[in-house]
Amino acid sequence: MASTIELISSFIEGAPPGEPRYLTIDVQALTSDGDDILPSLAPAFARYNEGQLATVKLPGSSQEVIVSEFNRLEDNRYFDTESQTSFEMDHTTQTAFNAQSSPLESQNADLIKSLLKSLAVHAKEHYPNCSYGVYPIENDSAVAILLVANRYSPNNFWNGRFRAIYQVPVSDSSSSVTGKIHVDVHYYEDGNVAMNTTKPVSLSINSVTAESIISRIAIAERDYQEELNRAFVQMAEGAFKGLRRQLPITRQKVEWEKVGGYRLGQDISGGKGR
Amino acid sequence: MADAQFDSALDLLRRLNPRDTKANLLAITSIVPDLTEDLLSSVDQPLEIRRCPQTGRDYLLCDYNRDGDSYRSPWSNEFDPPLEDGTVPSERVRKLEVAANEAFDVYRELYYEGGVGSVYFWDLDDGFAGVILLKKGVTAGSQSSGEWDSIHVFEATDRARMSHYKLTSTVILHLANETEALGEMDLSGNMTRQVEADLPVESDASHIANVGRLVEDMELKMRNLLQEVYFGKAKDVVGELRSFGSLSESNRDRATQLEMIRGMQK
Repeated sequence: MASTIELISSFIEGAPPGEPRYLTIDVQALTSDGDDILPSLAPAFARYNEGQLATVKLPGSSQEVIVSEFNRLEDNRYFDTESQTSFEMDHTTQTAFNAQSSPLESQNADLIKSLLKSLAVHAKEHYPNCSYGVYPIENDSAVAILLVANRYSPNNFWNGRFRAIYQVPVSDSSSSVTGKIHVDVHYYEDGNVAMNTTKPVSLSINSVTAESIISRIAIAERDYQEELNRAFVQMAEGAFKGLRRQLPITRQKVEWEKVGGYRLGQDISGGKGR
Repeated sequence: MADAQFDSALDLLRRLNPRDTKANLLAITSIVPDLTEDLLSSVDQPLEIRRCPQTGRDYLLCDYNRDGDSYRSPWSNEFDPPLEDGTVPSERVRKLEVAANEAFDVYRELYYEGGVGSVYFWDLDDGFAGVILLKKGVTAGSQSSGEWDSIHVFEATDRARMSHYKLTSTVILHLANETEALGEMDLSGNMTRQVEADLPVESDASHIANVGRLVEDMELKMRNLLQEVYFGKAKDVVGELRSFGSLSESNRDRATQLEMIRGMQK
């Protein structure tokens, strides 16, 4: 059996959108007999934050920036290209501190800046509450484009997250955008219902310009939402209906006196064999 | 401290992915072994199927037909693996249990058109109690699948010519879909509801009809609720995250509308 730290770490990494702090309280209560477990969970919080594209407010700013594997420096430091700032991250409490100016140094700096501009317009048009980032990756040979949208409504027992992660190799001619879109929804009023989706994306682009990249991404995201909406209908009409009918084929409810009366007193071994 | 630990364990299981409840339950009980019994009796998990060696019929396993490591078949009333002194219901309650299994077999065929069902009853000082279990799985093509587990636990307390029924129902529903255009989509979860009712009882057969109607009404209500949450609510939240239309346009429209209303009020 795995150790307590490993098991609790997997709980933290499985936290639904907006709920790590509640899980933190739970796991501390669960392990209250022993030493404080929180310091040992820092690596799990770091993996969760990077994977889920956690957003943090920069000190002295209302702007939220993304934490991910693509903008990681070293020692829990991350950088934001739009504000040209680097910051240190307390992963357990999801807070940023020690912000420093960090000028963008990349041979693709112009592309990154115009991608940020186009992405800002696209984000504003379709995501009421989101953060985004564009970063040089793979020894400055490619760029990562990230967008995360969160909506938390704990008073109504639901939380949701939309993540899009794209990578574009920078070359002189045509290229491609590859990545993934994830949507996670948690609803937990008198129950626990989770939706998790993963959609791989692969788009070819004729020229590596901000406009062509972002317009292809915008279309892919719109198509995906249409596809998801179709899937809701298809699941309701398909698998869900196939599991349990709303009413029997006769459109009549069960006549319990009859089934009981008819069956009562009969030898059960003579019942039908299924 | 044990109560606080139990509550936090339940809260964890309410938050973590319902698809992993079984593994998470195992993890929690390995961290705090003292919680094992209480958690196993209060957390519903997808039902397992076993074949009754005496009758060759499938039945469902749960905490209520378990005695040690053995499970009692509702068809033969025997434990598997066999037990010398396994706990079985009294003669009267077993008779009711047999009738209930027969009645819910008809119910299952009408609503589920397949699947597996089992009913277990046990004696109480002032009445009896039971659990009605129903399970069905579907694979619609290779890319879409679903699984439904119903767990209805009730208590029937004797009153003069009446019985007081208390029903707690949980449905565990798992749906998955995968296509090239959609990618992977997984909807998993469970919902629980309770109802209480006082109903007339003329003979023991009345109990079957009373419990039958309570379960039938509850399942209809829960099916509607699940449909609303899985396909309505989830879709709405996606719409809250991402707006299909242009936000600047809808903001402009709203501003124009406000302007018009103000103009009319002048």
